[in-house]
Amino acid sequence: MASRFRHPELPDEQAAILARAVRYEWLTIGYLALTIAAVGIVMGSSQALKTAWIEDLLSLAPPFAFLIATRIAAMPATARFPYGYFRATGVAHLVAGVALLTMGAVLVGESAISLVTNDRPPVGTVQLFGAPVWSGWLMIGVMALTIPVPVIFGRIKMKLARQLHNKVLYADADMNKADWMTAAGSIVGVTGIGLGFWWADSAAAAFIAASILWDGVKNTRGAITDLMDTRATTFDDDRPHPDAELVARYLQNLPWVDDVYVRVRDEGQFLHVEAFVVPRSNRSLTLERLEEARAACRALDWKLLDVVLTPVAEVPPLVASRSERRPS
Amino acid sequence: MMRLAVAGALVAALAGCQGIPADPDGTLDEVTGGTLQVGVTHNPPWTDVMDAANPSGSEVRLVEQWAADLDAEVSWTVGSESVLIDAMDRGELDLVIGGFRDDTPWMDRAALTAPYTESTGDDGAVEKHVMLAPLGENRFLVALETFLGRP
Repeated sequence: MASRFRHPELPDEQAAILARAVRYEWLTIGYLALTIAAVGIVMGSSQALKTAWIEDLLSLAPPFAFLIATRIAAMPATARFPYGYFRATGVAHLVAGVALLTMGAVLVGESAISLVTNDRPPVGTVQLFGAPVWSGWLMIGVMALTIPVPVIFGRIKMKLARQLHNKVLYADADMNKADWMTAAGSIVGVTGIGLGFWWADSAAAAFIAASILWDGVKNTRGAITDLMDTRATTFDDDRPHPDAELVARYLQNLPWVDDVYVRVRDEGQFLHVEAFVVPRSNRSLTLERLEEARAACRALDWKLLDVVLTPVAEVPPLVASRSERRPS
Repeated sequence: MMRLAVAGALVAALAGCQGIPADPDGTLDEVTGGTLQVGVTHNPPWTDVMDAANPSGSEVRLVEQWAADLDAEVSWTVGSESVLIDAMDRGELDLVIGGFRDDTPWMDRAALTAPYTESTGDDGAVEKHVMLAPLGENRFLVALETFLGRP
């Protein structure tokens, strides 16, 4: 099954990681289906639990986006899509980000309204084995059960996302973190109701919603900038991707190269590198040298699948003005 | 994992605590040994207010039994549903009865008890009956539901 997700250009090691990631995403979907059912049964009129439930529903989006996008991205380039389908990953990232953003905004609004209008959530009893039990205990129990799995899955996926340079997987790992924080938040909210602090529930819901909103902003921003061909960044959008520097340094040190400008964009699983090289002289520029340099660049990292070398007389002014590597 | 252990211990500690759930406005404490302010609207055989000073009906009897359990007097207020719900909103009533069903449109303005009995309506459908308590007074609600759930 995993082979259908494997991009033909992915090395064995990364293909194995991808197969693991696919397995974990299916597990995540199965697990979410269970918690959505369980929380749906016990949620009653707690605003925090309702927020947690909607968050669970929403956290289905990144795993599905990941599974669909990895499958599409693995399709070979065609005449109609000469660059291949790599960008499917970026589109999936945007879908997941916008879903998060919208829901976060709606939930922040809802819980703020119930705080302002003094909504006091009634939480009564349920019959459990013939005895009346306060539903709050049941809610707390179910939410506590939903904490450990997202913690574990989130950590594993974060590691896989780093190894695989996959931002959808990273967004999903982030989502898992939001999941268990949401569960912890609703436990605080329901406990607050139990202690007679009616506002604790809505306050917990507002806090959770704000963290969802922030995740949405972060992921949407990352997805949009990647689609706009921002300079490639690491899987967590934390800093410029080191591969750009690697390629530039390698080319600059070639004896026949006088100057170089490298730009790298993120196409999802792989990076797309365009390097403009200024040869020292006309004679030093040969087809063999170009081919050799290109192969060497690709060998620097498996992510550097698509490397284009363009010999130029001088670094174009527009490009040069934005260049981070000015000739010394 | 440390966090989980702490959370588990906290839940266990709270489970042993008798004060949960609490009433934000302390309704159950005020009623116990005091007066239960009950709003009643006419809906026989559940409630009958033809004699406004002495309402009768099956729900009236239930409320009187519960009040006796709580060592409380019952003070009846007769009115329309909207007048009684408004009064409960203002904190003047502790309970509103009148053969309400669990699909009552007042569910956003009052806490519905768990259905305590069922009847068959004119169209043959099953109707589940509830009483209306103040929103958020969960200790009061749990006490009432526990009483109503008793065989």
